[in-house]
Amino acid sequence: MSDDIVIQTRALGKVYRDFWGRQKVRALKPLDLEIQRGEVLGLLGPNGSGKTTTIKLILGLLFPTEGEALVFGKRATDVSKNERIGYLPEESYLYRFLNAEETLDFYGRLFDMSAETRKQRVDELIKMVGLDRARKRQLQEYSKGMTRRIGLAQALINNPELILLDEPTSGLDPIGTREMKDMILRLKEEGKTVVMCSHLLADVQDVCDRIAILHQGELKELGRVDTLLTVADVTQIRARNLTADCQNEIRQVIARHHGELMEMDNPSTTLEELFLSIVRDSEARPGRRANVEQTTSA
Amino acid sequence: MILEEQILPYMQWLWSGGPGSIGALPRFLLIALGLGFLGLLLGFIVSAARHGILRGGDIVYRTITNGVRELWETSPRRVWALAQLAMKEAWRRRVVVALMVFFIILVFASWFLRTDHQDPAKLYISFVLTATTYLVLGIALLLSAFSLPADFKNKTIYTIVTKPVRAGEIVMGRTLGFTLVGTILLAIMGVSSYVFVNRSLDHTHEVDINSLKKVQDAAGEYIGQDGRTSLDANHRHEVELNTDGEGKAESNYGHYHQIVKRGDRSVVLGAEGIMRARVPRWGKLTFLDRQGVPKQRGISVGSEWTYRSFVDGNTQATAIWTFDDISPALNYDDGEVSGLPIGLIVRVFRTHKGVIGRGITGSIQVRNPETGLASEVIPFTALDAKIDERIIPQKLRGTDDKEYDLYKDFVSPNGQLEIRVQCLEGGQYFGFAQPDMYLRLPDASPVVNWLKVYASIWVQMVIVIAIGVTASTLLSGPVAMLFTVSFIVLGFFRPFFVGVAAGTEYGGGPVESFYRLITQKNIITKLDEGFTTSLIQGVDLVFRSLMLTMAQVLPDFAALSTVAFAALGFDVPADKVYQDLTMCLAYVIGLSVVGYFLLRTREVAR
Repeated sequence: MSDDIVIQTRALGKVYRDFWGRQKVRALKPLDLEIQRGEVLGLLGPNGSGKTTTIKLILGLLFPTEGEALVFGKRATDVSKNERIGYLPEESYLYRFLNAEETLDFYGRLFDMSAETRKQRVDELIKMVGLDRARKRQLQEYSKGMTRRIGLAQALINNPELILLDEPTSGLDPIGTREMKDMILRLKEEGKTVVMCSHLLADVQDVCDRIAILHQGELKELGRVDTLLTVADVTQIRARNLTADCQNEIRQVIARHHGELMEMDNPSTTLEELFLSIVRDSEARPGRRANVEQTTSA
Repeated sequence: MILEEQILPYMQWLWSGGPGSIGALPRFLLIALGLGFLGLLLGFIVSAARHGILRGGDIVYRTITNGVRELWETSPRRVWALAQLAMKEAWRRRVVVALMVFFIILVFASWFLRTDHQDPAKLYISFVLTATTYLVLGIALLLSAFSLPADFKNKTIYTIVTKPVRAGEIVMGRTLGFTLVGTILLAIMGVSSYVFVNRSLDHTHEVDINSLKKVQDAAGEYIGQDGRTSLDANHRHEVELNTDGEGKAESNYGHYHQIVKRGDRSVVLGAEGIMRARVPRWGKLTFLDRQGVPKQRGISVGSEWTYRSFVDGNTQATAIWTFDDISPALNYDDGEVSGLPIGLIVRVFRTHKGVIGRGITGSIQVRNPETGLASEVIPFTALDAKIDERIIPQKLRGTDDKEYDLYKDFVSPNGQLEIRVQCLEGGQYFGFAQPDMYLRLPDASPVVNWLKVYASIWVQMVIVIAIGVTASTLLSGPVAMLFTVSFIVLGFFRPFFVGVAAGTEYGGGPVESFYRLITQKNIITKLDEGFTTSLIQGVDLVFRSLMLTMAQVLPDFAALSTVAFAALGFDVPADKVYQDLTMCLAYVIGLSVVGYFLLRTREVAR
């Protein structure tokens, strides 16, 4: 296995059985997958498609019924691989009687980090996830968004090379979602490998280099996001400040070349962009109603 | 003091064991080897059934090699982190409520425990220590059985096992954390109960002036006064005062009082000797039957419990204790009395009432086992099950009426001394076991003894925690609790369990017992021969084999308890403390290994 391959699965499959060993459900059909160092891979699929099962198999939380998963060249059941891994579960399963500092310190100690290193790292991460003012509060007092942030912080406590994120944006508000996506992109810039599973397609599209689409436990599609999403026989032109005459001229040019004009109008922004711009405006001019009636691309 | 099993010296217990048994260490290794092999076989069968023979073998091989590797990779920092987490969790689960329950028990105990009991210290100490034991075992059970299953249920375990945490570290961390919590609770309970017993039983009396009578010696000279104390705490004491009005309120109800002169009054001070730690040195017991023929045991009086055997009164039947290493160094001399201090417990079995309230007369005689020189008999009155502490005088008359020295004349050159006890009343019996007579060495510190008893409770607690944590690696909380409770209950009745497994108990094995229950047959009645009986006994044979295997790892909680030592005022031998601690370590190691493999081979996620 090449050093550049962080995760490799070979015919990895999982069948859930009942107490008597009878097959209940085939959660994952034999999956062959290679994930390269430094890429962000998204596992996409509807509920029950095998995304979380794949992540759990990679982490060694589940044992494969067939095939195997290698992480950094080691079997998924080898605990020592966890030294280089960070994992954010679907619902930040943390000890609610600990506060943020205690939580991160505890997980730091599980990595055998020295007291000094832990102190420094805990401080960095708490600031990074924006929980500085809530660092002494018990997690049971945290909102869902705050819990996700501290969950992310615990996943990064060891400065991992590989980060596995299970539904990272679930429960986050649009700002939190954007921050989480920015964080993933920042991790990518730092050369980390990120595997995330989500059914929020926009999130995946925004941050992933490659996506794997699973359905009913089977890999249906795998490839680069830009390649997969490119519509080869459609050309898109975006221009600013065109007059009506100019637009008519363009229509004529398309007709002269036997093209089919599918759409020519003013684009709308995304709700996410709109929301973020309102929040930014509100923060910049507190107490005043935001002017969002006409949005321009500027 | 009841001591059914002789307490062997630690090193002998560890390496070679007593007669007919092997040492604890070889036994541990044998059991570990046997169970390890069985576990391996079972693991292979399950893996082979699921994944095929080759893959199954590979899985088993990897599990073992990983296990050995991960043992060396164990990080004390991780174990300590997990232990601290377990402590915080215990605190969050309001473990401190146990302390409140304990204090409530103490408050109510002082209401209901009888202070007019013949030996109130025994009653108080045994109650307090037994309550502490059950309470602590209960807490240990609840903490250990529910912790890991809660982590599985809340899925917090996901964030643990995806860190470089070894399964063994999880088991060790939990065990250590709950042990520390239990230790803190035990320490608080230990101090509180010690203060409670001492404060509850402390009292004083007044000298009853009207009861005092002058005492004169043979020459008619005034040597002091005899009398009694006032009635306080439901009892009185006989009083002996010297000419200065000072003296002692004699031992009664397990204690005595000093009397000092203050001004013109004789003042009785606080109770002394309520909590004692007698240090016995045991000898070897043999018997003579009624014809004077040597026997290993006395006769049976029909008691099912065969711990003691009996000598019949007014015959040649004798209980003979032989003590080794007798030297003048053991002598007790307080200026008034000089001799060899001994303690004697007699179980009196009466075939007729005799005089109510009066003891049965017996005799004590010392004898040189080599020369056969015997002293004149020393008569005594035996009260049932009471500890009779006396001094065998250094100067003794022989049967030839000459005066002899105890150490020079009655002790053989190799340091042996025989002490013989007979019952002198016809139709009455004295019952003895080997520990019923002992040489009394200077008392040990009752505080240290209290600590030793708490150490034995601690050992039981740690074993329960280890069992609970191990069970919870595989089972859900309630099932792990039931499993651990079964272990505790069977552990408290281990001799019976072993008896059923070995087929020495009446009523047969589990199936036969059930059959007898539903057919209303008593345990003695022989079952009709035939197919049904053969089938029942055949199935029982399988069950009994399983039970016998289980008995090898079943902790003997009754034997681990040293409450009786403290209640009866005996020092817990250091050898026993070392043995219990070693056994505890063996259980923790063994169960941690089992817990490791159970946790390692289960899927954390669902």
